[in-house]
Amino acid sequence: MTAPYSASEFTAILLARDLHDGERGAAGASATIPMAAILLARALHAPNIQIAGEMFVNPQPRRLWHSMLDDRALGRCEAAETFTELFEHSHRGLDFFFHSGLQIDRYGNINLHFVGGTYDRPKMRGPGAANISYAARSKRFYICATQHTPRVFVPAVDFITIAGNLHGPDSRRQAGLVHEGPRYCITPLCVFDFAAETGLMRLKSVHPGVTPDQVDAASGFEVERPALVPTTSPPTEIELATLRRVVDPAGDLREGHSL
Amino acid sequence: MNQRATKLITQDAVGAFLRKTLQPGGSVCLGGLFKQNRPVALVRELIRTGIGELLLFSSPGSGYDVDLMIAAGLVAETFLPAVTLETRMCSNFRDAVENGRIRAHAVDALTIVGGLTAAASGLPFYPVAAWHGSDVTKINPLITPMVAPFGGETLHAVKPIRPDLVLLHAQEGDEYGNIRHLTTMTYSDALMARAGTKVIVSVDRIVPTDAITRAPRATTVPCIYVDAVVELPFGAHPTGSFPHYSIDEAFIDGFADISDDVRRDPAARPRLDDYLARHVHQPRDIFDYVDGAGGYRRMAELEREARFL
Repeated sequence: MTAPYSASEFTAILLARDLHDGERGAAGASATIPMAAILLARALHAPNIQIAGEMFVNPQPRRLWHSMLDDRALGRCEAAETFTELFEHSHRGLDFFFHSGLQIDRYGNINLHFVGGTYDRPKMRGPGAANISYAARSKRFYICATQHTPRVFVPAVDFITIAGNLHGPDSRRQAGLVHEGPRYCITPLCVFDFAAETGLMRLKSVHPGVTPDQVDAASGFEVERPALVPTTSPPTEIELATLRRVVDPAGDLREGHSL
Repeated sequence: MNQRATKLITQDAVGAFLRKTLQPGGSVCLGGLFKQNRPVALVRELIRTGIGELLLFSSPGSGYDVDLMIAAGLVAETFLPAVTLETRMCSNFRDAVENGRIRAHAVDALTIVGGLTAAASGLPFYPVAAWHGSDVTKINPLITPMVAPFGGETLHAVKPIRPDLVLLHAQEGDEYGNIRHLTTMTYSDALMARAGTKVIVSVDRIVPTDAITRAPRATTVPCIYVDAVVELPFGAHPTGSFPHYSIDEAFIDGFADISDDVRRDPAARPRLDDYLARHVHQPRDIFDYVDGAGGYRRMAELEREARFL
């Protein structure tokens, strides 16, 4: 079945729905979908959303680019800061941030460093992480997975680059993590949220045309799910039209553009 | 007599400057970020010197240039938060780590910025509070846990980072080394210049000192932190130098394609050596390099893209 919208577009729309007017947040590097989500929320229902924390304050890009942390993408903005301000934002905090990963585990921990072998002699080395501080210092974050496979969704990550729920609420407290942590994990198949009591990922809704069993098969661990799994509300006409007209006129999130 | 000394050096003199300021096993730090304002022409010159076993630092986002240095075999250890071309991975970096040819330390943005801040401020450490729960804190060699002297919170102290040599690229500068970024973002360039032992900056164009003194607040790196400045038009290529020229994604992809092939099959290595020969070792100067990278036609396209963003 071909949906009349791409998985990337859908993810951006789902994220946008959860960003609120007056909140402050940032995307990051390699973050086309998150930036699209913030811009869409700003266009639809959150005109007072503040984009800050990754050096560009309230950027106004005319289109999306596949890297969203440079002057090409964000150079039109209200102010530009430097990396020193990362400390300041740690102090003031952000409401939301976004992460993606090579591996994501059932506690929402994220690995960007290596898979297999040891840290010094990995089977597969990842890019590492530019900024890990917002996992602790933003009030919540979202996990965007562009692939949903058992290799990505693993029982336990080989290395915790970004702390999700660690090994549950107690371990979060012990580590000094005081904020909400990961709220949703959005994949091309479904939306996960996290159980407050255990910190474990659970199936919140499946995307139209996807069954819970498909999610199970695509995940490397047993997915906790309610008896009746709702279907994710598909994009509305207004959401999709605004995304395409205002945020992504060049069509970078459409099918056929790899992110 | 009695004249202020210029810090402007010629393209030909860059190699000698690098050899004078950097020993094998020394530390280098690169400015800019990901695919913009990277001192790529200076990096190519550094590769030509053959000074190896380097400890490599960068602003928090790095890609093409560090992968090029690793492909050329210059690097022993990296202190790089993120190594990526953003849309794809850096295959030389990955391959070198996976096969034990380099040590890639686990550091993040605040490690680098904190360490540079300590060095720039003459402090023995800089405290960071934001790493709870991450495994990066367990193996990051530049940090150690500490108890805050006020309030008793557990923090981490970052060691000062004082690179032997800092390489920067900016849009404009004068002959005394007053540097002006015309970009929107200025990364951690000013901080690196203050932290480094020696600093060399390439600029797209040298401007008269009058242009600097007319707008002193526009100076992003004052001359007191700069040891040498060199005019290298398109010196950031294939990364962007806004508002002058945009990012040459196709050129970066060309390198990444070859690098991906070599990672999959080491027999493809001669293609990477050809690439290094063609774009790094053979060009006599920046003009020769530009000719080999698509010439005036391509540069004009990148200039146009930067004008119409």
